[in-house]
Amino acid sequence: MTSKAFFVELGKHLAVFAALILLWEGASILGFIDTILVPQPSEIWKGIVDLYFTRGIIYWHFGITLYEAAAGFAIGAGLGILLATGSALNDNFARYVAPYATLLNVTPGLALTPIVIAWFGFGYGSKIALGAITCFFPVFVNTLIGLTRMDPDTSEMFRAMGASRRQLFWKLQLPAALPMIFAGFKISVTTALVGAIVAEFSQGTAGIGVLMQRFAFQLNGGAAIASLLSMSLLGLILFFIIEIIDDRIVFWRRDARMTAVSRQKRAAWARMRT
Amino acid sequence: MSASDQIDLPKGMAGGASTRRILFNHLAILVCWVGLWEIGSRAGVIDPLFFPRPSDILVGFWRLYITQGNIWFHLGLTMAEVVAGFVAGSALGIGLAFVVGLSDTVRRFLKPYVVVIEATPRIAIGPIVIAAFGFGWTSKIVIVMLVCFFAPFVNTLNGIINVDRDQLDMFRSMRATRVQTFRKLILPEATPEIMAGLRLAMASALGGALVAEFIASNNGVGKLISTYTGNLNMASAFVCVLTLSAVGFFILRGMEWIDRWLVFWTDRKRTEAVGRKRAQRWQKGGKL
Repeated sequence: MTSKAFFVELGKHLAVFAALILLWEGASILGFIDTILVPQPSEIWKGIVDLYFTRGIIYWHFGITLYEAAAGFAIGAGLGILLATGSALNDNFARYVAPYATLLNVTPGLALTPIVIAWFGFGYGSKIALGAITCFFPVFVNTLIGLTRMDPDTSEMFRAMGASRRQLFWKLQLPAALPMIFAGFKISVTTALVGAIVAEFSQGTAGIGVLMQRFAFQLNGGAAIASLLSMSLLGLILFFIIEIIDDRIVFWRRDARMTAVSRQKRAAWARMRT
Repeated sequence: MSASDQIDLPKGMAGGASTRRILFNHLAILVCWVGLWEIGSRAGVIDPLFFPRPSDILVGFWRLYITQGNIWFHLGLTMAEVVAGFVAGSALGIGLAFVVGLSDTVRRFLKPYVVVIEATPRIAIGPIVIAAFGFGWTSKIVIVMLVCFFAPFVNTLNGIINVDRDQLDMFRSMRATRVQTFRKLILPEATPEIMAGLRLAMASALGGALVAEFIASNNGVGKLISTYTGNLNMASAFVCVLTLSAVGFFILRGMEWIDRWLVFWTDRKRTEAVGRKRAQRWQKGGKL
C-alpha cells in the first residue's frame, strides 16, 4: 500500500469514527440515549482529560494494575511452562499432573476471588495470585501440545544422527513449540489482566479496577468509561509487548526478520574465523 | 484475530490410558494428598482457618446439599443467569456478525473497533452495568450477555471471511443464488469456527456471572462464596468452588458433545456414520 492510499484509508476511517461520535452525541443531547446508562462522548472526553491531564491520577493506578498483571502473568506462565515441560519429558509426570491441571481448567478461576483474597490479603499479593491462577492454563496446554507435537520425520533424522535427549529438546522440540507457546502467552496475558482487575473489584485500595468501580458507583459514567478505555490500552500494551518479544525470539516465521538474523549470525561467524 | 480453547490434552495423557493399575495409582496419590492435608491440619502445620480440612469440606457438602440444602437455590439462579445471558449474547453476536460480515465495506470499517474490544477485559464493564441496571439479576444477565457476545461475533466474522475463494468462484460459476451460497457454502464453512467461539463464550459465561455476583448481589453462588469467605467459613466456600468445578466440567463436555454432533464432518467416524444414515434415507426414497 502506498503512503497516499494509506492516508486516504486513514481519512475514511477517521471520518466514519467522527460521524459515529457525532451521531452518538446528538442522540444523547436529543434524549434518545439514557446518559446515565451510556454517557455521551463529550462526557467521556471530559473524563479522559480529567484523569490524564487535569488531576493526572490515573498514572499511579495504571502502573499498579500493570505491575499486578505482569507479575501474575510471569508467575502463572512460568509455572505453566515448568509443569508442561515436565509433562512433555516424562509420561509418568504427565499422567499424574494432567487430572489436576484439568480440574484447575474446569473451575472458573475467577470463582476463587474471595478465597484468594482471604489467603493473600487485601494488598497486591491477592491480585497477583488471581492473575497467576487465571493465566496458568492456556500457557500449560499450549506448551504441552507444542512440545509433544513433533514432526516425526525431523525427530527421526535427529535420532539417526545420534542426537542426545538434551539436543533433541533444545534444538528440535523447543523451537518447534515456541510459536504455540507464544500463542498461549497472548491469550493468557489478557486473562492475567482480567484476574488482576476482578480482584481489584472485590477488594482493593489502588488500581484501575478500584478507580473504575468508584466512578461507576458515583454514577460518574464519563470517568468510568475513561478508566475502561485505559484498561483496553493496558491490554493492548501487554499484548504488543508479547508480540514484540514473539517477533524477536521466533524470528524464523517472518522472512524479513529471518534474513536480518541470519545476516547477523553470518557476520558473527565470519568475525570468529578471522 | 481468532481464538480457540483447545483444552484437550494429547492422547494418552487425559486419562485415556485408564488401565486399572493407573487408576489405582491415581487414587492412591489422591488419598495420600488428602491424608497428608488432614494430618497436617490436625497437627497444626496448616492453618484450618484458611485451608479447610478435607473432612470439614465433606461435612460442608452434607450440610449445603442435604441438611440446609441452600446451594440448590443459588446454583439454580446462577445457572439461569448464565444460560439466559449466553443464549442472548451469542445469538446477538452470531446474528450481527452475519449481517455485518456479508458486506465488505462494513467489515473494513469495523475492524479497528474489534481489535480494541478484543484487548479490553470484558468483565471490567461489570461495575458500569451494575450501576446502570441495579443489583438484581437483570444486571447479571446483561454482563453475561456482554461477556458472551464478542467471542462468537469475532469467530463468526472470521469464519465468513475465511471461506475458500476457489469454492466461492465455483459456486458463482455454477450460478448458485445468494441464499444457496450462504446455506451450502458459507454456513457450513463457518460452523466449526462459530462453535469454537461458542465454547469460548460458554467458558467465560460462568466466570462473568460469578464476578457480577461478587461485585454486588443478594443471591447466587458467587454471593454464597463471598459470604462464606467473609465469615471465614472456608469449608463451605470450598464446597461451592468444587461444585462450580463440576458444573464447569459438564458444561465443557456438553459443548464438546454438541460440537461433535453439529460439526460432524471434521471427525472421520462421525462423517461415515452420518453418511450411512443419509444414504439409507435416500434409498428409502426420502428427501435428503
